[in-house]
Amino acid sequence: MTREPGVQAQARNHTYATLIIGAGFSGLGAAIKLRQAGIDDVVILERGDRVGGTWRDNTYPGIACDIPSVLYSFSFVKNPEWSSAYPSGAEICQHIEDMATDFDLRRHIRFGMEVNGLGFDEKEGMWTATTLARKQFRARTVVFASGPLADSGFPDIRGIDTYRGHKIHSAQWDHDYDFTGKRIGVIGTGASAIQIVPELVKYAEFVKVFQRTPGWVLPRWNPATPQPVKDLYARVPAVQQLVRQALFWGHEASATALVWNTPLSSVMARLGKAHLRRAVKDPWLRRQLTPDFTPGCKRMLISSDYYPALQRDNCKLIDWPIATLSPSGVRTSDGVEHHLDCIVFATGYDVHLTGPPYPVTGLGGRSLNAEWAGGGQAYKSASAHGYPNMFFMTGPNSGPGHNSLLVYAEGQLDYAVQGIKTILDNDLRYLDVRAEVQRRYNNGIQKRLTKTTWMSGCSSWYLTKDGFNASMYPGFATQYLRQMRDFRYGDYHAVEQTADVLTGARKST
Amino acid sequence: MAIDMDVMLEKIKDRQWALADIDWDAPGAETISDEFRPRLKAFMADLCWIENVGARGFAAMAKKAPTPTLAEIYRYFHAEEQRHANAELALMKRWNMLEDDDEMPEPNVNIRLAIEWLDRYSDDMSLSMLGTVIPMLEVALDGALLKFLLEEVHDPVCHQVFEKINNDESRHIAVDFDVLNMIGHAKARKLSIEFVGNVATPGFIIGALTYVPLLNRMRNNIVGMGLEPERLYNAMRRFKQLGERGEYTWRVPTYQILKLHARMVVNPANPYHLVANPMVKLSDLYPKALLRPIPSWFKEITHRPAA
Repeated sequence: MTREPGVQAQARNHTYATLIIGAGFSGLGAAIKLRQAGIDDVVILERGDRVGGTWRDNTYPGIACDIPSVLYSFSFVKNPEWSSAYPSGAEICQHIEDMATDFDLRRHIRFGMEVNGLGFDEKEGMWTATTLARKQFRARTVVFASGPLADSGFPDIRGIDTYRGHKIHSAQWDHDYDFTGKRIGVIGTGASAIQIVPELVKYAEFVKVFQRTPGWVLPRWNPATPQPVKDLYARVPAVQQLVRQALFWGHEASATALVWNTPLSSVMARLGKAHLRRAVKDPWLRRQLTPDFTPGCKRMLISSDYYPALQRDNCKLIDWPIATLSPSGVRTSDGVEHHLDCIVFATGYDVHLTGPPYPVTGLGGRSLNAEWAGGGQAYKSASAHGYPNMFFMTGPNSGPGHNSLLVYAEGQLDYAVQGIKTILDNDLRYLDVRAEVQRRYNNGIQKRLTKTTWMSGCSSWYLTKDGFNASMYPGFATQYLRQMRDFRYGDYHAVEQTADVLTGARKST
Repeated sequence: MAIDMDVMLEKIKDRQWALADIDWDAPGAETISDEFRPRLKAFMADLCWIENVGARGFAAMAKKAPTPTLAEIYRYFHAEEQRHANAELALMKRWNMLEDDDEMPEPNVNIRLAIEWLDRYSDDMSLSMLGTVIPMLEVALDGALLKFLLEEVHDPVCHQVFEKINNDESRHIAVDFDVLNMIGHAKARKLSIEFVGNVATPGFIIGALTYVPLLNRMRNNIVGMGLEPERLYNAMRRFKQLGERGEYTWRVPTYQILKLHARMVVNPANPYHLVANPMVKLSDLYPKALLRPIPSWFKEITHRPAA
């Protein structure tokens, strides 16, 4: 699979400077940044056979990002060619492919390598990753870039195994299935469903949308980028940078309504209700579609075609609870059985708020999975005490509710590169964040979280089963980026190769 | 004894049933005589719409519920009331009471007014108000009507259906009265402020004006079917009995009012009926043009097990 024989040949006993897990946006971003910092001995382990991560896996009809691509991209990877404000998932995926090619990253990637275990050797200061294909990779540092929405599966709904029709998960779309003239059920009304439904109603005989909780939907304005604008972006990149800045600050301003529960949150609710009133005529349907949680508590949905799609003659919103799936379809609690040829599960992802789905063993044999069982905790979302030389992308409490994930990821990249450079340049055996620093940081984060919309009482995938918020960052992107630029050596416990323990504090004096 | 609502929610999820579970073509439909059919049809139509009205009440309750679990329970109850209405419509279909497949039984004017009230005001009513009125409707109307039906109708399918409905209803009533007790636990000051705030609203006044003739019309219909009004009265007394089991229920002002009202209703000699009976007649004169269009939730009822 690998195009560069060099990487493969050296794989067996070689110890890489950095091992990156995942060849999605953040994994490739990490490789670019590391190379720019002069670290070239990098291997990227990718379980698929293509780059792109979540954008490669999610190919359902209508897929797009809910943040404009000029902002949902890395500032150091220019793309003047975005076809519109919110281009399709395929276009985003192509952008990631181009990123891999243009920055000559493919020679670092080992495809078909699904990591199933990570262990740290304290004596050697070395991480070893094992893969499903029984390969081992050794590296001094690890960048965890498997993404928050990488895994998905059918939900645990009663009777799901009895259903005899066709089942499709939104994140694993079946492109061979012909929806024309079929009776389709869509379970879920979140970010994926609101993009899928408007597409399905174009082909299907009938679409029934099964809703549990309606979300706040704001209209989406998605103008095509005119060719002269693309040309301008290409000739004068500063113009696109300016647009990016404007979008950034626009989104930052929305934090005052979406991150914190403020009077502006109710303004946001009013906007949502106004959109609903304008788009939906029937008062009962409007009532069914009116959310009863604070805007922001669950992710805002952006769509101008979801409400119209629901009101088409061949579409119906079913608000009754699902009692069970049956061999022929869905039985709702009003006693009716909905006969369906195919059920689309737009039920979201298996978000690993409690750590990766495989064992990670740190200092003294400690288990990350056990320590994170109640929800992940890290320092600045990037380092976890006891798991040295490892840097998390989209780690605990790094999620934005109002801005581009990739803006946050850039902060994480800078932080990881500073950390990795510190380890390599000083030839440290390991660099481990101090327990009390991490504890203090998390106490602060959890305290700040109490004032946010995410903790205002709705149940969302941001929270663990016990209601612990291990996913979101309670602040502006600006604040987050400021903390990520500031790599404090003194916050870490540094151990040199000679086994002489040097504290960061001592070393820095 | 407070109910563990999480356990209750699981139980509710475990006990779901569907119209498809019943063989609507099984023998027994012939037990309904041609003579009995028109009267039973009117009765079933009322019953069906009352379930639907109850369903809408639960939809309003779901928005007021103090905990997510209770909100989810009410969401199920809303659907279950709808299921009962669907099952009753399916019985009507089985008994050849629907001319064509799409015929819906005509709701009487009091039901129409109740629907209007629910649609307009119920979402703004407090939990204590809704939490008292709904159990009354369930205990009084469901209780009296269902018992009567099972005595008069000998179709085994009907019995099968109502056994399922009754099982659902017993859970509804258990939760209803538990919540009523919980509401009564609130500070007296909160209860009275809320009560005064509610009574002073047009919603409450119009609601009362809707409820009084609705109840008396139901009584008249029951009597017309050959049932002693005592049945309805006994059911209304049950409201009091169930309420007395709760430690704090007596503190809910709306409960006290409804109890007092029930006492007046169950006494045919009470001067109350001098007002209530003419209200039934008056409501017949209610100009149809003033009735708002039937809301779309009202049209969701179906007798078809599969859609």
